[in-house]
Amino acid sequence: MSINKDTIVAIFLLLFCGIMINSSFDIEDPGYQGMKASFWPTIVLCLLSVMSFVMLIKSMVSTTDNNLNSENTNSQNIFLKYKNASICFLMFILFLAFLDYLGMLIGGVLFVFGLLTLLGGFEIKKIINHSIISIITIGIMWSIFTFGLKVILPEGEILRIW
Amino acid sequence: MIDVILQAFASIVLDPVTLGLMFVGTLAGILAGAIPGFTIAMGVILTLPFTFGMTAVQGLATMLGVFVGGFSGGLMSCMLTGIPGTPSSVATTFDGFPLVRSGRPGLALGLGLWSSFFGGMISAVILVALAPQLAFLGLEFGPWDYFSLIIFALTITVSLSGGNITKGLIAGLLGLFAATVGEDEINGVARFTFGFDDFKQGFAFLPVLIGLFAFSQLLTDVEDDKRAKSPLMSQSGTVVKVEHRQAILIILKRWVNLFRSSFIGIFTGILPAAGGSISNILAYDQAKKASANRSNFGKGEYDGVIAPEAANNATAGGALIMMMALGIPGDIVTAVMLGALMIHNIIPGPTFIQDEPLLAYGVFIAFFVAHFFMVGLQAFSLRIFLLVTKIPMYVLASVILAYCAIGVFALHNIVFDIWVMFFFGVIGYFMKKLGFPLAPMILGVVLGKLAELNLARATGISDDMLLFISRPWSLFFLLMAVISVIFPFYQEAKKETLFAKLYVPISMIVLSLPLFLMGSPVRMIVAIILVLTGAYFLYKRTSSLKTT
Repeated sequence: MSINKDTIVAIFLLLFCGIMINSSFDIEDPGYQGMKASFWPTIVLCLLSVMSFVMLIKSMVSTTDNNLNSENTNSQNIFLKYKNASICFLMFILFLAFLDYLGMLIGGVLFVFGLLTLLGGFEIKKIINHSIISIITIGIMWSIFTFGLKVILPEGEILRIW
Repeated sequence: MIDVILQAFASIVLDPVTLGLMFVGTLAGILAGAIPGFTIAMGVILTLPFTFGMTAVQGLATMLGVFVGGFSGGLMSCMLTGIPGTPSSVATTFDGFPLVRSGRPGLALGLGLWSSFFGGMISAVILVALAPQLAFLGLEFGPWDYFSLIIFALTITVSLSGGNITKGLIAGLLGLFAATVGEDEINGVARFTFGFDDFKQGFAFLPVLIGLFAFSQLLTDVEDDKRAKSPLMSQSGTVVKVEHRQAILIILKRWVNLFRSSFIGIFTGILPAAGGSISNILAYDQAKKASANRSNFGKGEYDGVIAPEAANNATAGGALIMMMALGIPGDIVTAVMLGALMIHNIIPGPTFIQDEPLLAYGVFIAFFVAHFFMVGLQAFSLRIFLLVTKIPMYVLASVILAYCAIGVFALHNIVFDIWVMFFFGVIGYFMKKLGFPLAPMILGVVLGKLAELNLARATGISDDMLLFISRPWSLFFLLMAVISVIFPFYQEAKKETLFAKLYVPISMIVLSLPLFLMGSPVRMIVAIILVLTGAYFLYKRTSSLKTT
């Protein structure tokens, strides 16, 4: 018997199912005839619990090398493997957090510029390229959606003040 | 009927705006299909936000342009660089690339291009002929049958998406669960909102789809630092002159291969989740088995180019048949199109062709027209493709991530949708890392509400749950669902085991039961053929077991 990634995922899924099944008891019953609002989600969650349990058992009896202590899981490798994805996550969260202040135009340009520079490198030539790319691409997209498709994109407090 | 077809024809061919949109769509599709790391589904998903402001016909015509263009785009990169642009052009590389290397790049491109065109045309004819007939069949379906059909669509997606079936089922169930969050459509009761008002509207389909599919894919594309910074392709192709006339003559001389491969493509497309990635390999394999020049395969054999390219474009028509006739998406691309129709308040289903004939015939005609655009744009897009491949992936990914945010916001004009996209993007990324297939989850999200609605209708009409197995169509789909769940075990089982020998004949005999119950003469004949064929295989295989 071994503990591997699948074991942890299965335990997480079982916990998730437990929380959601518990939450399904709070779903209001307006007393109408027919299927209750909690019926379908409960079926889905019960099936999900069963499948997660199957996954747990399979992962524990599995003989394939998916062990947590294998070479690929040391902290440096994990950092290198997920570095760029983490940068994308972080930049996207920042972009969303400041969207109300910066708006889609300025926020979008800063997001693309920041992401390009963090992923591509900090050399002067690259920084100039990145700023040109971010201004042109976001400018074009913003114009298409604002003027072409008549979508009112978030203006942002900065532009509103101006 | 003729009036409707003429009106639909006019709405596509005589409308310069629609033609212009299809032109851009096809070009974008060819490029999306040609760039490794991008898929046709991603191209169609990214096109969707632009279609909000269009009419339903224009929106679908644009997406069809991307869809059709994408299949042929894959052949450019695989022939010129040896790297398949999409999974649906993997088999084209086997003979296409050697043919280019042998000094015939113009002919190789011509064979691929015109095979795609003819394959698409054959599937378009079948689409027009078969979809309305299948829709008539769909009119027999009650909510029990529809619910079982959705269950079958989900299970076959799981079994064909490859990998671990447990993980596939979990992904599908997670998709179904995601669709339950928010106000329930039947009673209007809030579910799993945890006190957040934003959750009441539920997770909109588009942000979930873009997050799961496009966002997570872009994160995967930039994962490797070195690869993300280098140009999309290290091998650079050159502009070549396509040998149209000679390619057409060669293909027409090999019409048996063309038709066989196209029918393989159509059949694969009709199966939910079995897309071009499967059909091109199947068609290549069959072409090789049927060829007198088997030893030439892998060295630039013409049939080895014709088969996969005809099959992958024909798959598009097959996938559309299911969507148009029954409202069940054949793959991720048709799931997106289904979403696009829903945005325009059109619910596809068996009555779709009758209720919306203009739109339905508009789709048929757009599918035809897109193939002409594909041929016309190939030479032009080849030049753009060579330029685009010089861009590093991190630049494309950064710009597209921003575009995803803008596109998702445009759906309902709320920032919450961008958070939803981000959330599902992160989930999709880690699910892929942990070996969960995403296609079942996407189909679960798309079909979740439809499944619940039909279950509610069924239980509303009668409390008798046995109707799910006593109604022939429902029983048929549930049996198909069980057979499809067992299918991966059959694939893994060794050929000489009892299970592997009995799986096909017993499946055939079991499937005949609901057909007998349907009662109509044609279905009875099909059922008898199934029983007899199954019994013959059973006899042959059990007698071979006895001798060993």
